Amino acid sequence: MSGESVIVASRLSKDFGSGRGLFELDLEVGRGEVFGFLGPNGAGKSTTIRLLLDLIKPTSGSVQVLGLDPRTESLEIRRRVGFLPGDLALYPKLTGRAVLDYLAELRGGVDRRVRDSLVERFDADLDRPVRHLSTGNRQKLGLIQAFMHEPELLILDEPIAGLDPLVQQSFHALLAEVTARGRTVFLSSHTLSEVERVTDRLAILRQGRLVVVDSLENLRKVAVQRLEIEFGEPVDGAKFSVLPGVTDVQTSGVTLTISFEGSADAVVKAAAAHEVRAIRPREDDLEDIFLRYYRETPS
Amino acid sequence: MSWPATRITLRLRLVGTVSATVGLVAVMAMVGALFPAVGHTIGKLDVPPSVANLLGGADYATITGWFRSEIAVIYAPLVIAALAITGASSATAGEEEDRILALVLAHPITRSRLVAAKALAVALIVVAVAAAVWVGLIVGVALGGGGIGLARISALAVQLAFFGFAIGAVALALGAGTGYRSLANGVAAAVAVLGWLVNSFAPLVGPIAWLKYLTLFYYYTGHDPLTRGVFVTGLVVLGLVTLVLTSVGIVAFGRRDLRA
Repeated sequence: MSGESVIVASRLSKDFGSGRGLFELDLEVGRGEVFGFLGPNGAGKSTTIRLLLDLIKPTSGSVQVLGLDPRTESLEIRRRVGFLPGDLALYPKLTGRAVLDYLAELRGGVDRRVRDSLVERFDADLDRPVRHLSTGNRQKLGLIQAFMHEPELLILDEPIAGLDPLVQQSFHALLAEVTARGRTVFLSSHTLSEVERVTDRLAILRQGRLVVVDSLENLRKVAVQRLEIEFGEPVDGAKFSVLPGVTDVQTSGVTLTISFEGSADAVVKAAAAHEVRAIRPREDDLEDIFLRYYRETPS
Repeated sequence: MSWPATRITLRLRLVGTVSATVGLVAVMAMVGALFPAVGHTIGKLDVPPSVANLLGGADYATITGWFRSEIAVIYAPLVIAALAITGASSATAGEEEDRILALVLAHPITRSRLVAAKALAVALIVVAVAAAVWVGLIVGVALGGGGIGLARISALAVQLAFFGFAIGAVALALGAGTGYRSLANGVAAAVAVLGWLVNSFAPLVGPIAWLKYLTLFYYYTGHDPLTRGVFVTGLVVLGLVTLVLTSVGIVAFGRRDLRA
């Protein structure tokens, strides 16, 4: 985290009953960060965002956005925040241009050059009614309206949903530009791949509770590593499963797949006792730890 | 007040409103044109009192009775209630159910200003419909051979507009206060229809005749504006109902969570 905090949540809770909601969230997002907010569907991500924007009121706890209280100063917060809702909905009968005009008017006008450059960057179709646009083209309108007033804080819920790879690239470049100018991005998603390329730090939420907040770098350090080792002849997997740090061993013919935490030293030395034809690292280690956080709280 | 929110609401209801107003004028012109041909015949019908009350007296022999039964008591309030109710519920609960409101309220506009802007849009739609009734009556009465003065026609249009404001405010309060469009539509429609029935039948049963005073319909047409002109008490009651319910909607919307 860098500099002053843009979002500070303290024991923030919203209880919908039956175990649903958000519970005792403590969170701090610094200025200029791209902060990933991850969790499976129903984990409480959208509830958190709705609390930040005063769309719903907390059951307990407190939150500050840009140093302001959403309960009493939400107007000023919303003036300085750009928001892209997940599962974006717009007026289906209106054209993209009419929708953007309306949303710009609600802000008392926006810099036309900024809006036009965003339209050009995303190659957005402004002339057709929203109901005739594909999901991706509607999402482009959502992104344009979120960025067009050059907000200090962007709250983006599943921003690349439906976008093709080229537009995703434009979006990632835009994120880099806005954060380089000191703006903050709070990026919510249920998939790691959506935020992995752009976030500095991320939080993982599960069943309404915060499971972990850390940098991607630190999460990688504790990630489970996985190697696929091809031997000259079949080996006894049991001898590998007792090695320090090993969490899983699977054998198939002459191939052994081993998962372990920490140093690879013991695994490599044990393998060296046999004829080793090939060692292949598996690259989905971060995804593994991410999914592990989703399923259960790691000890 | 937020003019952009009022304008967008009007724009979204434009086709329905224009169709309704054009249709009203056309229907009233036809109704007026029919009177010289059928007035003498239909005026001799012996209509039971209960049915006559439902039709505002069923006095078909005069052009005033003809327009009262055909337009003032059924068609015009039906159209204005339908547009006011659907307009108010769509602009509040409808946008919330369609998940558009969450995006709108992420912009710098207070909830009270947003609901007030929607209420203004609904009021303007109601005024447009009432104006169409006014024009339609002038045309229809002229085609029917005349017989209702401009002041009486204007009185009906004004009473009708206030009825539209009030029934729209019922839907607005429910839509903004609960976020459920079907609830707002259903309850407001029930208030309108039950009001019409109670206002028609209660006077026939002495002990419950007073129930008519609880209906919005009575304050619209209870004093027969086509014959007796503006009913000021009715306008005051309908105006107060509108203001109170709109305020209730604004306050309730400001206090509750937006639906997911």
